[in-house]
Formats: sequence, C-alpha cells, structure tokens
Amino acid sequence: MKIKKISCLVLATSMIMGLVGCGKTVEPSSTDNKKPIEIVFWHAMAGVNGQGITTLVENFNKSNKDIHVTAQFQGTYDDELTKLKTAMQGKAGPDVCQVYDIGSRYMIDGGWVVPVQKYIDSDKYDKTKIEPNLLSYYTIDSKLWSMPFNSSTPILYYNKTAFKEAGLDPNVAPKTFKEVEEYAAKLVKKDNSGTVTQYGFSMAIYGWFFEQLIAKQGQLYTNNNNGRTDRATAVEFEKNGAGLNILKEWETLIKSGNVGNFGRKTDDTKNAFSAGRSAMILESTGALNGLTKGSGGRFEIGTAFIPSLNDAKDGGVIIGGGSLWMIDNKNTDKEKATWEFIKYMSQPQQQVFWSKTSGYFPTNVGAYDLEEMKTHLKANPNFQTAVNQLHQTPTNYNTQGACIGVFSEARSTIETNIEKMLQNKQTPENTIKAAATTINSAIDNYNKTNTK
Amino acid sequence: MYVNTTEVKIKSKKSFFENVEPYLYLLPALIIFGIFVFFPLGKTIFLSLNATTPQGKISYFVGLDNYINLMKSPSFRNSLFVTGKFAFINVIFSIFIGFIVSILANEKVFGTGVFRTIYALPMAISSASAAIIWMFIFHPSIGILNYTLKLHIGWLTDPTYALYSVAIVTIWMNIGINFIFIIAALQNIPADLYESASIDGANFFRKHISITIPSIMPTLFFLLIIDIINSFQAFGQINLMTTGGPGEATNLIVYSIYREAFFNNRYGIASAQSIILFIILLILTIFQFKVGEKKVNY
Amino acid sequence: MHQKRNTKIIFFIINATFSIIIILPILYALSVSLMEPGQIFEYPPKIIPRSLYLQNYKDALATAPILRFILNSFIMASAITIGQIITGTLAAYSFAMLKFKGKNILFLIMLSTLMIPGQAIIISNYLTISSLGWIDSFKALILPTTTSGFAIFLLRQAFLTLPSELKEAAEIDGCSNFRFLFSIAIPLVKPFIGALGIFTFLQAWNMYMWPLLVTNTDTLRTVQIGMSMLQNIDSQSFGTVMAGIIMIILPSIIAFIIGQKQLISGMTAGSVKG
Repeated sequence: MKIKKISCLVLATSMIMGLVGCGKTVEPSSTDNKKPIEIVFWHAMAGVNGQGITTLVENFNKSNKDIHVTAQFQGTYDDELTKLKTAMQGKAGPDVCQVYDIGSRYMIDGGWVVPVQKYIDSDKYDKTKIEPNLLSYYTIDSKLWSMPFNSSTPILYYNKTAFKEAGLDPNVAPKTFKEVEEYAAKLVKKDNSGTVTQYGFSMAIYGWFFEQLIAKQGQLYTNNNNGRTDRATAVEFEKNGAGLNILKEWETLIKSGNVGNFGRKTDDTKNAFSAGRSAMILESTGALNGLTKGSGGRFEIGTAFIPSLNDAKDGGVIIGGGSLWMIDNKNTDKEKATWEFIKYMSQPQQQVFWSKTSGYFPTNVGAYDLEEMKTHLKANPNFQTAVNQLHQTPTNYNTQGACIGVFSEARSTIETNIEKMLQNKQTPENTIKAAATTINSAIDNYNKTNTK
Repeated sequence: MYVNTTEVKIKSKKSFFENVEPYLYLLPALIIFGIFVFFPLGKTIFLSLNATTPQGKISYFVGLDNYINLMKSPSFRNSLFVTGKFAFINVIFSIFIGFIVSILANEKVFGTGVFRTIYALPMAISSASAAIIWMFIFHPSIGILNYTLKLHIGWLTDPTYALYSVAIVTIWMNIGINFIFIIAALQNIPADLYESASIDGANFFRKHISITIPSIMPTLFFLLIIDIINSFQAFGQINLMTTGGPGEATNLIVYSIYREAFFNNRYGIASAQSIILFIILLILTIFQFKVGEKKVNY
Repeated sequence: MHQKRNTKIIFFIINATFSIIIILPILYALSVSLMEPGQIFEYPPKIIPRSLYLQNYKDALATAPILRFILNSFIMASAITIGQIITGTLAAYSFAMLKFKGKNILFLIMLSTLMIPGQAIIISNYLTISSLGWIDSFKALILPTTTSGFAIFLLRQAFLTLPSELKEAAEIDGCSNFRFLFSIAIPLVKPFIGALGIFTFLQAWNMYMWPLLVTNTDTLRTVQIGMSMLQNIDSQSFGTVMAGIIMIILPSIIAFIIGQKQLISGMTAGSVKG
C-alpha cells in the first residue's frame, strides 16, 4: 500500500504538471547576451544516415555561433509529411523541413513555404553549382522552390560472391531485363526439397521503381509533360503503354520462379539481400552504406545501372531522395538563418561528407573537385555508379518526373494493384486500367478541391 | 435501482442547490464528453457533407455525395467485407480460446497462479509491441515461423493469408481480456451444480456444455460486445504490419479512414467513412442488446 | 484418488503447453534482443542467442530516448486514469444514488459514447486540438480521454451494490451527499476503483493512434509511437528494436502482475450482472 501512496503522490503531481502544459520542446539557453536564433529542422533520415545528419548539424552549430539548429527525426518521409500537415494547421511547424521528391507539388500548393528562389535572388547565390537534373526537378514556374539535399537514383545491387559461385563474371551486371531473366535463372539456388534458398533477383513492390522504369523507357507518367508545363489532369502511362510493359515483365519474372517477392516494404527486400536470399535487387543509391553494413563482410557487393526494358535513347532515371524546404513562419530572421543553414548543407565539403556517409550523390558539382571525393570514388567504385547513371541521363520531361499533388496516393495505388496482379487476381492490362482510373480520379478531386 | 420505500416525501421546498446538486456531479464528465465526443461527432457529420481542400479546410458542399460514392466504391465495399470477416474471426476465436484457457486454469493444479498470469498477460502488451514482435516472427526471409513449421507462406505478403495473420496477432492480444472475464464468471458458478451433474453421470464435456456455458451467458454476451468493438478498432497492428495490404486484403475501415484523411488528404470522405462506421456499430450494439436480452434472462 | 491425480497431471501438461505457446512471442523477442547482428541474419534462423549480447540495449537507449518515452507514457496514462476515476466516480454516484429529472436519458447519452467509434471523432478532435495550438502538449494527450462511458458504467454498478439503507441512515443523520460520497461510498467501492484504475492505465498506456497524431517531438512522444519509430530506424537492427520493445513492455507487465488479482475480482463482481 505504501507503493500506492507514493505513486498517488507522483501521479497527482505529474497530472498537475502535465495539465499546465510543460511539454513543449525545451530550447537550450545560451550564456551569451546575444541569443542565437533557434531554428528547427525536421528530417526523415534514420540509422547511419541519421547519424550523418546529426554530425552535419553539430558542425554547423559550431561554425555559426549566432544560429542554433535543432534536428528532429520524424520517422519515414510519409510520417514526416503527415506530421508537417498536422503541425502547420496548429502553427507549430519547423523552420526547415526535408521533404521527399514526390511531395513537391503538395508543398507548393499548401502555401506553407517560401521558395528558396527568393533568397537565391537576394543573396545572389550561384545556382549553377547545383546539378542541373536536380535543379530542373525542383523548379516550377521558373522558381526553384527547394534546395536539393539528398539525391539518389535507383541502382541495381548484386551479390558478386553469388555471381562467382554461379559462374558469372562478377564485374558484368545485366543491362536489360531480358538479361536479368537469364542471370536470375543461373543464380537461383534451391535446396533438396525444391524450395528456393536464394532467388536470382527481387524488386520490392515500390511505386518509385515503377516511375523510374517509365522514365527509363523514355515515356511520361502524366499528361501535360508530367505536370511541368501545366497542371497534370490524368496519367499518361496507360495511354503510352509504358506501364503495361513494366507489369508484363514483372509478371514474367515472378512466374519464372527465379524471382522473389518480398512484398511492399523495401526493408524486407533489403533484408533478403543482406541475408543472401536474393542475389540481385533494385534499390536507391542511398541504401548503399546500410546494405554494406548489413552484408557484414559475408559477400561482396556490386552496383550497376538499373536494367532497361527497351532501347529508348531519351530514357533515363528520375532523381529521387529529398530536398530542404523553407517553411513560412512569418519570421524573416528565422528565414535568413534557415537560408544560411540551407547554403551550408549544399556546400561541396558538406556534400562530400554526406555522400560518403549515406551513399547519396553530391548535389553540388563542386564536390567532385575536392581531393577527398576523388579518393573516395576511386576506393569505392560502387558510389560512382549512381553518379555515372545520373550524368548519362538526358534532361527532358520524361526524366524530370511527374509533379502531382496526389503522389503518395498514386504510388500506393500502383503498389496495391501490383500486389493484386502478382497474386493472379488481375491481369496486367486490368492492373494498369484499375490503377489509372483510381489515380485519375484522385488527381481530378485534387484539382477540383484545391481552392484557397 | 435505488428505490425509496420508507421515507415520507415532503414535496415542498427543495432548495435550489438541492435541485442542481446531482447535475453538478455530472458536470465534469458532461463537459469533457461535450467537447471531445459530441462536438467532434457533429463536426465530423458536417465535414462528411463537404469536399475538403488538400489542407483540410472546407472546399464546397456536396450533400450526400460522399456517402453515395462510398457505397458505390469497390474499395470501400471491400473494407466493409474485410472488417466484417476480421471481426467475425477475431470474436469467435478470442472468446473460444479465452474460454478454453479459463476452464484449464480454473482447476486447482500446481502452478495455477503462474498459468493465470500468463493467460492474462497479453492484455498488458500494446498493439504496437505485439505488431513488431509478430512482424519479425512472420518475416518473409528470416522469420522463425516459416522455418519452424517448414512452410513458405507469405504471412504478411500474401493476400490469402494476410488477414488471418493480423487476426492471429489480434486474437493473441485479446486472449487476456476474455480470459479474465470468463474465469471470474466461472468462479461464481456454485460447485454443487457440478456435483449433482457428476452424480447424474455427466462427463467432463457434458458438464461444461450444459452447466458452464449457460451460467456464464451474461459474460459471454458482454465479451461479444467488447470483442466486436475491439475488432472494429484494430489499428496499430494494421498500420505497422500491412498498411492495409497486400492488395487491400487487410484494409479495415478504421485503417482506410486513417489513409483517406492523412495520406489522400480527403477529410470529407474520411469523415463520411467514420459516420458509416458509427452507424454500423450502433446498429450492431442495439441489435445485440435486443437479442441478448432475450437469451440472457432466464 | 488415482484418477484425480492423473487428471491433475494432464491438466498441468495442457496448461503448460498453452502457456508456453502464448508466452512464446515475448520470450522470442527477449531472445532476439540478446543476439548480435551477425547472428540475426543467419539463415536458418536461430532461437537461442549465442551469448548475452547487451549492446542492443545500449544501442536502443542511444538511438531513441526510450526512458523519456516511458516517462511520457507514465505521466499520460496516470493522468488519464486519475481523470477517469474522478469524473467517473462523481457521475456514477449521481446516477446511482441521487434523484433528479432526466437521470435515465442522461445515463443513456453517456453510455452511448461507448458506441461512438474513435475514428468517427478522431479527425475532428485532431483538427480542434491543432487549431487551438495544443499539438505536442500533454494537454492534447490527456484531456480528450479524461472521462469514459465505461468508467461511469462500471462505477455505477459498483455503487448500486451498496444497500440503500446506508444512504437513508446517513441522510437522517444530516450527512450531505458530498460527505457521504467521500466518507462512506468511495471507501466501500475501493476494489472496483482499483480494478478500473489498472484497466484504464493499461488502455491509456497502449494508446497508439491519438498520440501518433498529436505528438511531433521526442520530448512528448509516448512509448508506443517511440517504438514504431525505433522500428523505422534501421532495417537491419532487429536486435536493437527487440531490446527497445522488451524495455517498453516491462513496465506494463510489472504493473499488470502487481494489479492482476484486483483486476479480476473488481472488474467482474457486478459489472456483468447488471
């Protein structure tokens, strides 16, 4: 009973404390007379990448005594965006927020941001230092809205050790999906009962891969040039047949029995690769360090461009990853501080560090001039792959990627429909049709209700 | 009920305070219900009659269109079906397993105390914890379940199994509550009922069917309601394990509402789904009370 | 006698089997939390850790402020429990022992809140809370659930078990309603209040969707959200995640074992007979 009495006291006190609302973020007090400007930075980087962010922020704070940045990890990109929406309605948002690529249209329409173009102009910042493909992705209506930060492209990861075991040249990866089929047949391993212990290839049911493979075929995802010349009103991948090509190939791969389906969560497919259950996977270049750590020295990892479905000359990859958005909190001091932080994060030195830590490629072309980067690339050819793939990608509407406000839903719709297809619940043709209908209706609804 | 038979009522002046006093006791609860239950219910009903901007504000009035479109939508109909199937499996097995372990733990054997604690334990585990543990057990490449049972089932990646997998986790979590209520009810059954049945020659199973089950009917009825409400509220597991998939196989209404509001940014439609869910639960509960009343009173 | 002994043994074995099956997931989580990363990814998967690898626990504490989360959950769950007990006791007392107009209707209205699914009101509540600027505060976590139809229902049943003569005698002695409540009625229904307290505490501890929506920063996050975030941190660190989970379910299991007996007796004596 004594425990009860003590706990009652604790409960009562805590309840009173709680109701007085002492739960807000504690801001560090400065001992100087001039307090540094506090800005809050939301990001979605976890694990090794998250530690990289922490280091970058610490270094910024050390070298900029009049600004203090607090970095807060908000979960996955999706969780973070949900949080942002909540926060902005409650006027409790951050000052700078890392948002994923596909959230761009939504961020612009939300009216919550200050386009970085404003400060690029007033500060006379030299935009040309940033990779052109990145600039084109985030530029809409001739304004650069956000500063690219962590950029990636999808690449093919493969198990060099498994290649050797299967009698394949560990330095030659499949270039087309037809080759993937052949390689997978050679790489698959079965045990005595006939169950597969190692698949030749697998690809998470991830909408991003779908979008990439459309661009790689040199086709558009939505009309109006992917929503870049005018607002998108409907998808295009249905009409131009690019979507169907992807699905038909996917079905062929799975039906061959040599390709694994580990579901929607990219983590599960990554785990499969690390556990040696899949000899090849598609994944973002940003996963490189994590996968290297996960393989634990059990096998050697190789990387290559993503395989192609056709021989389109104007195809390529769309940049993925995220960018830094300046949130409009009606506070010019904070905006200026945020701008300093954003500039810092884009400096060649920082981007080299970030690139080495995460596997994302540098957003600043000046990074390649630094000795550190040159040494790093020589020692780690796997990092060079994504860079090469990016530089060999032509800049056009296809590779700019779509810009729509309902992207999360669109991706989820594609994923759900592919799941159904892989379970033989619908044909590839019907899958495309179903996905297109749903997405078109969502785009329509978005455009209709997007009144301010 | 509180019936006053002896006191003579002097119907004259009851002071103002005396009249108001009972209501004062209700005030705290009423205020909180008012702000956090009834007001939002009204707001949700209002939202459901409108289309909303992607940021959540009212865009324009649509009347019952949201409802009509939902009833026509195959996706929503799928959610209704999946939720019903899920609730059915969950309720039947939660009560059934709860009943079995209650019978088992009711006998005074060595270690009963430990067994009872274990049976009730899942109650202390939250849906998020349970989901993460089971996700690892169900893992497509390194999951222990497939390996131990020598199976190759995609527990969470195969639409045929996903709903059952989520149900297994939910049932596991619910065993505790069902167990607690049933065993307490079992302990209220007079022992001589069983003794006279033994004398009449009834065996183990016969005893339980004829005596136990009828005696704990009120409890079973109560659990039926609790379990159904729990089924309709199952969110944590779905959010972590399957996110409504694969292929919408586990897209329970509750999860669908969450996605519609926070991913698709269509608060109006999400509100309409909530109201439909409310009406379903209301009808179910009223129906149960009507039917239950007849069965329980004997 | 022989038969009875055999029956007992059979029951013991069956009980043991069921118990092991039910507790297996938790034991497995414990086991994985003690495995080193290399072992976790081995295929075929292993059940027993090779050694007691405690680094996972250190990592879990380093990556997410688990202790802070536990504290937050504790504050929130305790406050909600106290709130429900207070508001529930007051309302239940009125319904059970006082006479006033509209008693039945008001009781039905309060009971109806049980039927309103959380999802029907969560969006609106979230919009209300955010427009008040209460996001990321204990106010937001605690206030909406400080009262519940279940608490009122259960406590009303509890008060109804008290004989009416008690109240009559008190009235004759000139005892006010309020004094009766605090000096006589409440002490007599203590077991019910105790049981309700534990049940409510566990429910509040396990809340997921509401805290997910209204908390943004680690300072306010509760244990359930913190855990799902831990899970997102690194697709390869299962050991760390399991360590985090074990640390998180430990307080609730302990609280549960302590309050278990009270829970069973208090919950059921009278609540289902009504």
